[in-house]
Amino acid sequence: MTGFAHFRIRLLQAFKTISSNWILKAVFTIFVCIIAVSAQAEDKITYRLKWLINMSTVGDLYARDLGYFKAKGMTVNIKPGGPERDAIRELELGYADFGAASADQVIRALDKGAPLVVVAQLFQVNPLQWIYRSSGMKLTSLDALRGKAIGITYGKNDEIIMQTLLSQAGIKHNQVRFFSVRLDYTPFYKGDVELWPVYINTQGVEIAKRLKSAGEQVSFFRPDRFGVRFVANSVVTSRRMATKHPDTVKRFIQALLNGWGDSLDPANAQKALSIIKKYDRDASDDVLKAQLKATRSLIVPGAGKKVGMIDRDAWKQTEKIMLTHGQIKRPVNVTTVLSPVN
Amino acid sequence: MLLRRMYQFGLIYFSGIAFLFLVKYSLGLSDYVIPGPGATWQIAGQVALRYARDVSNTLAVAVVGQFVSLFFAFIVGICGRQATWFGSLIKVAAYNVQAYPIVAIAPILFILLGDGFFTRLLIAAMICYFPLLLSILGIMSEPVIDIEHFYRQTQRMRWQLEVKIRAFENLHKLTTVISGSATLAMAGTIVAEFIAANAGIGYSIRIALYQSDLGKILVALFIIGITVSLYQGLLERIGYVIKAIWGRSQ
Repeated sequence: MTGFAHFRIRLLQAFKTISSNWILKAVFTIFVCIIAVSAQAEDKITYRLKWLINMSTVGDLYARDLGYFKAKGMTVNIKPGGPERDAIRELELGYADFGAASADQVIRALDKGAPLVVVAQLFQVNPLQWIYRSSGMKLTSLDALRGKAIGITYGKNDEIIMQTLLSQAGIKHNQVRFFSVRLDYTPFYKGDVELWPVYINTQGVEIAKRLKSAGEQVSFFRPDRFGVRFVANSVVTSRRMATKHPDTVKRFIQALLNGWGDSLDPANAQKALSIIKKYDRDASDDVLKAQLKATRSLIVPGAGKKVGMIDRDAWKQTEKIMLTHGQIKRPVNVTTVLSPVN
Repeated sequence: MLLRRMYQFGLIYFSGIAFLFLVKYSLGLSDYVIPGPGATWQIAGQVALRYARDVSNTLAVAVVGQFVSLFFAFIVGICGRQATWFGSLIKVAAYNVQAYPIVAIAPILFILLGDGFFTRLLIAAMICYFPLLLSILGIMSEPVIDIEHFYRQTQRMRWQLEVKIRAFENLHKLTTVISGSATLAMAGTIVAEFIAANAGIGYSIRIALYQSDLGKILVALFIIGITVSLYQGLLERIGYVIKAIWGRSQ
């Protein structure tokens, strides 16, 4: 602001000196207008999500739709993600300026030399947990997993998390039954599989509702309760962006995290729900409410901590787990790319 | 013929790979976006054998699926070759079945049949069935007037003879269509495995995609391509042999 005021004074002084020549004055006025317009032009930013638009993206949409980015002088184009879309690749190719990526994606990309920086960690608790019928089963210790039929998605991070939990408990692979998970939940509904991996703030809410309506009680098996804190979605940008445009990064993250914080404030629940409802038309209001509540518990950290804070210990642990399971060839020192915006 | 198909595939594949490397080095991209030659070679060493087994598994399903669809395409083609009301009904029914997208039908199949062999087989057959049907209907509906006229005039024409004449006269076309449908059967099986199976190269590609590992996908593409080229070459060779034997017996 001070800089801009100084610039204006200099412009006025220059204007006075050339006021005697009207042609020069006209040219100068046009020049000043062009400068003024370009100075006011908003930054155009592309933000690639990790997955499709659902409750896990409520803060992103809230920040965009309620003008948080505009207030910071930015126009943000939020693009949905999906299995075939990789935000980190898009950052490197210049198709996106920011992206949401899970920690395993970040660590794999670092292992292969991708130049990126983590600027915020959205989920403080990993939403990937296992749903199970709590009647007749209590999973209060890891040893209780012995002999169970456990759903895992081969190749995804739930496989690594479950392998870590099992090895921590000293349970061998032949002491559990693995079931390869796909989009169809029938094996879980039929009871063929006892633990099924879900994102507890989205699918978890829907499955739990369906089973509760059929008179069944469900619980969630949380890996973090047993010491495995595998980091989930974070916001990443390219090293080039972080170095050359730190101000843009700062404005973007401030707007984004303010949007996240406000969207999860119970006082703003109705606004947040109406935004998500525009995209998720099939979900009922009570499901959306339950999803918002579940999301709040995953994003908002404990007292005295800010939304978006980076849990360095959890990142270190995630890297260690991936190294142990051969997901990366060598240590990548992930903490060196954690660059939270204040 | 086999050798020609293989080196032609190799030419196309390595041109594509060379283009990717050109993009990688000219834009200075990391191995995460496009793996370099060294990294790709290293990945190939790690997974080639496993992927070759996966491709064999997929090919086995694709071959059976292709023969199932070939069988049904011939049945429908033979029944639908006549310009009668029944022939027209068969054609309409066959076309309508194809109007449903496989991605919409696949989940129903997986619920009903599970994610084993039969579901993969059915999807492979459904994907390669329609082009086969169109070609076979076209061939079977087209009279070979010069030859058929003689048998009709002498009242010796039976439906089996009619089918045999039309198949023999269009054997080259049939061989090309059957060989081409091998690619579709393979693609169909891979799609089925990608959606929900627990085996085959489609399943391995899905895992590689989850891990953002383009190197593994490049290796898989190479093995799939070389296997399909071999299989197509083999089908063409069989076509020539059949024509030669059939020709001698006439």
